[in-house]
Amino acid sequence: MLDALKPKKSTIILYLFIPVAMFVFTVFVPLVTAFYFSFFEWKSGQTIYTAFYTGIDNYKTLISDSIFWKSFGNNIYLVVACIIGQIGLAFVLVMFANSKLTIGKAVHRTFGFFPSTISAVCIGLIWSIIFHSKYGLLNWFVVNVLGGAKQAWLGDSAHVMLYVSIPLIWQFIGYYMVILFSAIAGIDQQIFESAEIDGANGFQTAVHITMPMIMPTLLVCLTLCIAGNMKAFDSIWTMTAGGPGYSSYVMALYGYTVSFSQSNMGYGSAISVGIFVLSLAVIGGSRKLIGLLTRGLGE
Amino acid sequence: MKKLVSLLAALSLLLTAVSAFAATPVAPTELAYKGEITLMHFSTSEESEGNGGSDGFRTTIANWQAAHPDITLTQDVLANAEYKQIIATRASAGDLPDVFLLQGMNTISWANGGLVMDLTDIIKASPYYADYNTAYFTPFTYEGKVYGYPVLTGGTCTVVIYDKAMWKEAGFDTFPTTWADVEKAADYFSGKGIDTIAFGNGGKWQMNSDFISTLGNRYTGPEWFSSLIAKSGAAFTDEAFVKALKETKRLFTETKIFNQDFNVVTNEDAREYFISGDAAAMIGGNWDEAYIWQVLKDTNEEKFNNIGFAVLPQPADATEAPNSQNIGLGYAIAFNPAVANDADKLAACIDLAQELTGPAFSSYVAENYALGGLTAAGDVDFSKFDPITVAFYNWSYVDTTTCEIYDSYISSAVWDVFNTDVQSMLNGELTPEQVAENAQAAYVANY
Repeated sequence: MLDALKPKKSTIILYLFIPVAMFVFTVFVPLVTAFYFSFFEWKSGQTIYTAFYTGIDNYKTLISDSIFWKSFGNNIYLVVACIIGQIGLAFVLVMFANSKLTIGKAVHRTFGFFPSTISAVCIGLIWSIIFHSKYGLLNWFVVNVLGGAKQAWLGDSAHVMLYVSIPLIWQFIGYYMVILFSAIAGIDQQIFESAEIDGANGFQTAVHITMPMIMPTLLVCLTLCIAGNMKAFDSIWTMTAGGPGYSSYVMALYGYTVSFSQSNMGYGSAISVGIFVLSLAVIGGSRKLIGLLTRGLGE
Repeated sequence: MKKLVSLLAALSLLLTAVSAFAATPVAPTELAYKGEITLMHFSTSEESEGNGGSDGFRTTIANWQAAHPDITLTQDVLANAEYKQIIATRASAGDLPDVFLLQGMNTISWANGGLVMDLTDIIKASPYYADYNTAYFTPFTYEGKVYGYPVLTGGTCTVVIYDKAMWKEAGFDTFPTTWADVEKAADYFSGKGIDTIAFGNGGKWQMNSDFISTLGNRYTGPEWFSSLIAKSGAAFTDEAFVKALKETKRLFTETKIFNQDFNVVTNEDAREYFISGDAAAMIGGNWDEAYIWQVLKDTNEEKFNNIGFAVLPQPADATEAPNSQNIGLGYAIAFNPAVANDADKLAACIDLAQELTGPAFSSYVAENYALGGLTAAGDVDFSKFDPITVAFYNWSYVDTTTCEIYDSYISSAVWDVFNTDVQSMLNGELTPEQVAENAQAAYVANY
């Protein structure tokens, strides 16, 4: 009977082939073609058929391209800000929400998660309105409550990266809260009760019990956070288009501008490969670093 | 009684139809081609509301399609920003549609790449050639060959739109002709908490298209830009052009003339500042004028009647063309060279392009919007237009001198660098000299 219900091996392979083919087509093929075209000069007026091979010229340009490295620095800024803002704040909020004194835990979870379901372009537009220098909510607060002067927030080159980080942090706090909620739910409640009997306060419980016990989940969060922010694009594009000047350029935005606004597909492909390599290096490096740090803590 | 009502209804329908088709109809050319023509453009239905060029373009397409039911016209219509990127991507892939709109700045590189058909002889053979304004062909001409029919309406990219009543209150019966006077007005307006002139450069292109393109001409004169286009010696680093950049920086960063957030907000915000009375004037293009006209006409009759138009005031140390504004046709109808493989198809594409730029189009936009295109439409009957439309027509086509729109020429790779650097300069991070040097480096590398 069971044999009759069990599908044939070839059927299983055929079904499995669909997601594999989709993955290959949407991830592997673009990556390989981007790598291939990164060795070509393919500018406005040239087609895929008339682009010509230039060896590693695009990579030489990339290495000495100050805008690319400034964009990479901005990505790192975003990563650090979002690790602190998204995962750090999410952890703190989860600790509060998990307290016995908190009422309506499900409401916190639902409303906290809600912003992460909104499209990044909408988030960018919402926050552009909040930051708007004449009609924005933030300036209304600064003028009417704090008695300060109106600011052109997104025109401040020195701090614009902080301002474009805020919407990203706001959007994904709830996302990490949900992950951390589920991780904490897996910890045996008797451990918390024992700690409470031993006189541990909330902070001590969070740092010495909760954090070490959900460390694998925190590492996953960290990887997701780094990967997400190394490819940040849409909300920044909507809010500042990378401006003023190159102040809020991130790597994906620079690659997009070079490829499509400047019609330089060859160099744009080299930038894409650069983003891929640097993202892998940052994710790999951070995992190694965390591994070393946690090993130290264990001892 | 019923018969009378029916008769009246039929008569009214007939009158409506006659008035709707008062413009010249498309020519009833016999075409042998019976297949499909792919057409890509950016005159969306949303764009055509209040925009005469887009409305005329869409109307002429519909009339041409109705006149040639055996031809399937497959249209790919995108908003302008998306159009520019998709058409460039399709060009890179060697996959252009049969008929599309060529942006002036792409003419040379696309012509060199064999992506656009040489239309020199075809255009000269057009039955409407005698009525063409041949100056409009310049951005689409390379090494003596013409690659497109300039299309849509000739509109300014730099107009000062101001509220006459507000400026009269500040002591100016007309808009000042010098920046020194505008600075005096700024003292008055800033005292009242009003921006003197609203400007939006958040998209980075506005400072180029809507300001420097005209201000630069006041310093360099037209020969400098012609030389830059022809690569015959002029450079971004030339003293006259650097002076224009310095004056731009001074006006935006050292005076109280412009809104504090000019480098963040877009022209859409700037025109709202003007409409709401938060600014006494704004600088924008014909698209901003069309929007302001539409909104104020419907909502604020008094302000609508006080709309005035002016050219950029003249800087104290500028010596050229004080009455100039940059106007032109930024796009042309171009053909994929593969169209020539089928003579009948080519004939159909030529007929379509001729009608979209010929009397059918120009009479429609002249009669309905008081606008002009490639083909002269004859005298415009102004009696049915409001005084603001007439004033803008006269300002655009009669009372001012013209200069080129910078980014209709050269290369997007150059302008992208220049526009971004100008935004940095206006935020105090680059000097005018550095902007000029970077632009020159991009020009040498990409043009």
